[in-house]
Amino acid sequence: MAEKPTLREDQQLLDLEPLGQIGSEASASGGQLTRRTFLSGLGAAGLVASAGPLSAAAAPMGQAEGAAGAHTVLTVNGEQHDLGMLDTRVTLLDALRERLYLTGTKKGCDHGQCGACTVHVDGRRVNSCLTLAVMVSGKEITTIEGLGVPGRLHPMQAAFVEHDGYQCGYCTSGQIMSAVALLKEPVGPSDHDVKEGMAGNICRCGAYPNIVAAFQQVRNHSTMNG
Amino acid sequence: MATQTTPPSQSNVIGRSVARIDGPLKTTGTAQYAADFHFPNMAHAVPVQSTIASGRIEKLDAAAAQSMPGVLLVLHHGNMDKLYRVVPNDFSATTSEARPPFEDRTIYYWGQYVAVVVAETLEQATAAAAAVKVEYSQTPAKLSTNLGDYAGKRPSVSQRGDAEKAFAAAPIKVDQTYVTPAETHNPIEMHATVAAWEGDSVTLYETSQGVVNHRYAMAQVLGIPRENVTVVTRFLGSGFGGKLFPWPHSALAAVASRRLQRPVKLSVNRTMMFSNVGHRPLCEQRFQLGATTDGKLLSLRQDYINHTSLIDDIDEGCGEATTYLYSVPSLTVTRALAQRNVGTPSPMRGPGAVPGLFAMESAMDELAVALNMDPVELRLRNDATKDESNGQPFSSRHLKECIETGAAKFGWKQRTPAVGSMRRDGRVLGWGMAAASWGAYRFPCAATVALEVDGRVTVRCATQDVGTGTYTIFAQVLQEKTGLPFERIGVHLGDTSMPEGPMSGGSWATASVLPAVSSAADSVVKTLLQVANSTAGSPFAGVDPAKLQLTAGRVHQAGEPAETGVPFEKLIAMARLSRISADGNTTAIFEDPKAKGLSLHSFGAQFVEVEWEPQIARLRVSRVVTVIDGGRIINPKAAANQIKGAVVMGVGMGLLEQTVYDPRTGQPINGNMADYLMATCPDTPEIDVTFLDYPDLAMGEYGARGIGEIGLAGVAPAIASAVYHATGVRVRTLPVRIEDLLQSRIREA
Repeated sequence: MAEKPTLREDQQLLDLEPLGQIGSEASASGGQLTRRTFLSGLGAAGLVASAGPLSAAAAPMGQAEGAAGAHTVLTVNGEQHDLGMLDTRVTLLDALRERLYLTGTKKGCDHGQCGACTVHVDGRRVNSCLTLAVMVSGKEITTIEGLGVPGRLHPMQAAFVEHDGYQCGYCTSGQIMSAVALLKEPVGPSDHDVKEGMAGNICRCGAYPNIVAAFQQVRNHSTMNG
Repeated sequence: MATQTTPPSQSNVIGRSVARIDGPLKTTGTAQYAADFHFPNMAHAVPVQSTIASGRIEKLDAAAAQSMPGVLLVLHHGNMDKLYRVVPNDFSATTSEARPPFEDRTIYYWGQYVAVVVAETLEQATAAAAAVKVEYSQTPAKLSTNLGDYAGKRPSVSQRGDAEKAFAAAPIKVDQTYVTPAETHNPIEMHATVAAWEGDSVTLYETSQGVVNHRYAMAQVLGIPRENVTVVTRFLGSGFGGKLFPWPHSALAAVASRRLQRPVKLSVNRTMMFSNVGHRPLCEQRFQLGATTDGKLLSLRQDYINHTSLIDDIDEGCGEATTYLYSVPSLTVTRALAQRNVGTPSPMRGPGAVPGLFAMESAMDELAVALNMDPVELRLRNDATKDESNGQPFSSRHLKECIETGAAKFGWKQRTPAVGSMRRDGRVLGWGMAAASWGAYRFPCAATVALEVDGRVTVRCATQDVGTGTYTIFAQVLQEKTGLPFERIGVHLGDTSMPEGPMSGGSWATASVLPAVSSAADSVVKTLLQVANSTAGSPFAGVDPAKLQLTAGRVHQAGEPAETGVPFEKLIAMARLSRISADGNTTAIFEDPKAKGLSLHSFGAQFVEVEWEPQIARLRVSRVVTVIDGGRIINPKAAANQIKGAVVMGVGMGLLEQTVYDPRTGQPINGNMADYLMATCPDTPEIDVTFLDYPDLAMGEYGARGIGEIGLAGVAPAIASAVYHATGVRVRTLPVRIEDLLQSRIREA
């Protein structure tokens, strides 16, 4: 690189992942690339220092399904799945749905625009359609199936049932995964704050008032219980 | 709330708010939607779309795609299996596009399927689809969004009196043209088909709002007997009308699967959702209202035109609610179609009525302004006491009460009529209102109810739950009839191997299924009591069945407490039966003597508040009060949710939604969910829903009319009227855009 890239002040403030303790983040994610470490890496030492997963993506051609492949092990809901030399074009969403048959996570747009595919990666909500499976090899992935099952629902799932926080149910997995992650994010107390926090999950049936009510019930209940 | 009448039985589960029985499945990712089905050895299909809107395929080169890794098959016009059309106007077997895929080399719209690639994995199929080379010869495409230059015939839809003469003589006139844009349904679940053949028979796992129609139609398209087609839609990620009838991708999946003798999954992508699976068409409507100086309508004329595709003539039907909503002696409604190089339109929530009411209720608001009259008062003065389009009495019409109740709940009395005259917290407020209506229908339905030896009661019906709560409504009826808790009730829908049920459309599913399941349950209980009487060893052997009854799952002597009885499953076991089952049927409303000569419609009123911040040109819908006269409400919890959701969609229709076709290529240029704006969580206003809950007994014993579409009707014109009240800008072309509002003279709040 001819010049060390520098960030403008507003770029340094950019934070789309408002979670967790910033100081411990690099160690918590095993030194791998997150948006924050990527950005701070740019600011501090340039790109090279945090390029681990990128080199994994450059695995030999032609080994998996006729395209570039990379050895991929996904840890989903606490269980390890060795996907072998996985086609590097496979998104986390399609890996979950078409390889692991965890179809609770839904595809609504494949462009990160609707939120139906929201899952947790290391506790944070991400659009699994915008995440290549190889990028999250070794990370902790949680899907809707890992939250609760019929008869043993997570409080957020139970609140969605109680408040009718859905109609067709198709965006619901994403809404719930988003809502559960939002519980740990710095979101204000008002309905308006919750609406902004849930803005990335579109519900075409328009069950938004009930989704907000479900979220508020779970949050207030957990606050009451300390 | 209006007065409650006695429910049809002592049980109170009908009309009670209950959580959906499928909630635990939907919230855990366990509910299976079409694209969730997997089979061993399944292949993936990805269509190739035309990049022009009008012309002809001159050359299609699939060689490169064919040789790519994992590719199994490339289908196109040159090698496609023979497919057939369905019989025109046969409403039992309807397709969305009359033309089967790849029928000829002609291109009718941008995005039309020209090939489909099938490969071992989705990634391989996607890459190979991009490698199919197509050469076209182009012809000029008809893409103009101006429908005003139409010079063809305008056939009459409805006619009474002499609207032209009455309008000319009227002292107060409104004569305006209103435009509603093309809108895309955009359910979050994209259309998909998983096709699996076994011998000569195919099972299609579908995103269908009508599995029975889908079966009949696909049997015709594939040219195979109906009994060789099974259609399954266990759960449906909504549809809003876009999934009523099969689209071409269903046949592509079926043919690919038959060729390969492997299951094939084809999921339409979001780009295709904008071009290949329908939309609400662009509509232009001229409204002429004539009135007396005290606000009595003298004449109404509506001339509407909507765009359609080159393949199909789809009339949006904007006169749907025009002819009966108000009392007016002279009325003319005409229709027209303008062909454009776009995909075939399809019904979208409240087809006809929703765009029609945008125009009519906007015109009524303009009339109120011209009269210097309160818009609520204007509606009340023109309330109709009978359906003046045919002279029939209404089965149950409470529009006036909807409007009065809504006005009271909204606080309409506080409204000051002058533009920009209301303020709150540094914002200009605008208050607007509109009336709403939608037809009430009931179609044939069959259902089988069974009391099972394992102590459960089950019902089977080949209808489907589009997301409205149909599963739960079946369970409510069974609970009412048997007294069993939901845990012991099994509802099986969405499979054409079961008795034929209705489409989930037109707001008619609930009214259509209720009589069938109710009568099946009554029959099965009757048979059970006879079994109790005739079974050796039964404590009721020889007891007159008329003196027995089933309560809380127990058969007992009438007049005795249920605890003295015997669980029904014990009697079934004593009789050595696996189950006792019975079928029930619903007849179509137009064959029902009880409904003969009646005009059947739902009504509603929408009251809207907008907040306008002129300094930063920011407009929000802040508050909506909705009052619905939709007959008896079976599950108020799901019903209120549905109405609120329709209001949210109305906010989108009023302020955000519009499919924009590139005038050069015909491509829906905002064909993705970031550029086609829909209401999101923060766009949601405070919504207050009231149901009047008057049973309409012409519809059946429960008096339910259905509420799927009416919540959307009237929202957009109420918003536009509120916008006028806040800003003084009359927006007659939806959506309301900030650019329009910059003309406002209200510069400060």
